[in-house]
Amino acid sequence: MPAIEANGLERTFEGGIHAVAGVDLDVAEKEIYAFLGPNGAGKTTTVRMLTTLLQPTGGSARVAGFDVVAEAANVRRSIGVALQEAALDPLMTGRELIRLQATLHGLSRQAGREKADSLLERVDLVDAADRQVGTYSGGMRRRLDLASALVHEPKVLFLDEPTTGLDPVSRRTIWEEVEQLNREGTTVFLTTQYLEEADQLADRVGIIDFGRIVAEDTPGRLKAGIGHPHLEIRLVEDVAERAREVVAGFGKPRPSKDGAVLVELEGGAGGVAPVVRALDDAGLAVESLDLVEPTLDDVFLEKTGHHLEPEEPEAGESE
Amino acid sequence: MGWRKSMEATWALVRRAANELLRGVLAPTIFFLGLTSVFGALDNLAGFPAPYKDWLIPVSLLQGAGFTGAATGVNLARDIEQGWFDRLLVSPAPRPVILAGLVLSAALRSLIPAIFLLIVGFAIGVQWPGLDGLLIALLVVMGMGTVAACWGTTLALKYRSQSAAPLMQAGMLLLVLTTTAYAPLALLTGWLHTVARYNPVTQVVEAARQGFIGSVTWGNTWPGLVALAGLLAVLSALALRGMHRTAI
Ligand SMILES: Nc1ncnc2c1ncn2[C@@H]1O[C@H](COP(=O)(O)OP(=O)(O)OP(=O)(O)O)[C@@H](O)[C@H]1O
Ligand SMILES: [Mg+2]
Repeated sequence: MPAIEANGLERTFEGGIHAVAGVDLDVAEKEIYAFLGPNGAGKTTTVRMLTTLLQPTGGSARVAGFDVVAEAANVRRSIGVALQEAALDPLMTGRELIRLQATLHGLSRQAGREKADSLLERVDLVDAADRQVGTYSGGMRRRLDLASALVHEPKVLFLDEPTTGLDPVSRRTIWEEVEQLNREGTTVFLTTQYLEEADQLADRVGIIDFGRIVAEDTPGRLKAGIGHPHLEIRLVEDVAERAREVVAGFGKPRPSKDGAVLVELEGGAGGVAPVVRALDDAGLAVESLDLVEPTLDDVFLEKTGHHLEPEEPEAGESE
Repeated sequence: MGWRKSMEATWALVRRAANELLRGVLAPTIFFLGLTSVFGALDNLAGFPAPYKDWLIPVSLLQGAGFTGAATGVNLARDIEQGWFDRLLVSPAPRPVILAGLVLSAALRSLIPAIFLLIVGFAIGVQWPGLDGLLIALLVVMGMGTVAACWGTTLALKYRSQSAAPLMQAGMLLLVLTTTAYAPLALLTGWLHTVARYNPVTQVVEAARQGFIGSVTWGNTWPGLVALAGLLAVLSALALRGMHRTAI
């Protein structure tokens, strides 16, 4: 039995916004599955439907074997959820929050107390446990939120952008915790806007854009499907337009990113030297030059025609 | 989830709400003092069966309960906006338990402004309503607090925004205003007379009032309790329907 299963899942909002436009999912037990997509792609809407917070307007889904509409109560008993807007009462302490959560999940007072102790230990919040949540840092809040989703040892864990806005160290702490939970047998469905997060953490990645999954596979296979690396060229002066013309002869040009000129090199590393010579001949001074192996962003670009991470406003336009 | 667990979950939600700032504790008292000093002269007016402050205090009690109850709706709308409510909705706690946690906290909280007002009232010479009269008044306060909380909750679940707050407050205000709260039925004229006569809250007001302006009788008590039970049944059904609709 798959842990999460969706068939043609859809959600249209008032005003005709097609936030989720037919999503099929088949997430196996004990898998880490990542939904990778930009702002507004439909990640949260999908998670809200899978966690019984929002009624689908089309299609169906089952979580832990239960239908999310007809058997919502059973779904809720089987899942842990850390939502994107980690709503925490700033006046409560971390310990109070976890104990409230334990009570809501029907744990006895004694069990709730013990659970709070072990979970606070687990997410390294023992020292801050009796402080008001209002005084917590962003990373601490996310850890607390994660801990509060674990009180009933859920089989399936939903994490909506668990690390957005966190510094790299806090991010890594969350990743390690997620991996540990997964090793203990928890199925994890997470959403992210971060390439590395999907790449490093997930067994499988679904790339979502405009409410549709445009690609889905292991990160390795997705990247292998792209094939060639690309060259990322930064110039000393703002001469991107001319540079683009020069390199156009060496491979398929790509939409620029953060002001860098990008070109695909079908021949791999051997193609670097001719490009450098050509730029030199044209009198364009190169500041830096990187040969970049395919990333999930390349997969994203190939499937959707745009980058996952938004371009800087001052970056040169692609055409 | 058994009923014991449900009770515990309810109680946990009640405690959380009690954590919040106790808004409007003073408002009904100030309102009461203001009105009695302005309209105290009505004591001499024909048709008022009791000193004005004795007449008015149960109304201020109910209004305090109405405001406290409506504040539950405002708080819930805020919790919905901020995503806190989702935390409750994804938990397996049955929807009625979550609702009960919300409205029972309102019932308890509405006692706070009421007790404060009573202390001030007795200090300035409001008639002692007798233990039975006092208990009936406090019971009615809790009931109206719950009714108002159900109303506020229903609107919060429907509009999911704090901008519905005026509607939550106005509903209760109107319900109390169109009764014999501010003048005896005999002095009301026209449509107000008609509405006050059939508004069930009139019975509730009269039940709360009896001890302050005379003595407690069963005949003045049971219509108020029946009216209160009816209001509770209707409004809690509305709120529960809203709860079931808000998530699947
Ligand atoms: N309640 C709502 N009413 C109307 N439109 C909505 C509602 N919720 C989401 N949308 C729209 O649906 C689309 C998908 O939103 P969603 O929140 O699922 O995206 P997301 O992938 O989670 O984005 P982000 O990375 O910013 O969190 C967006 O266009 C959003 O504006
Ligand atoms: Mg989102």
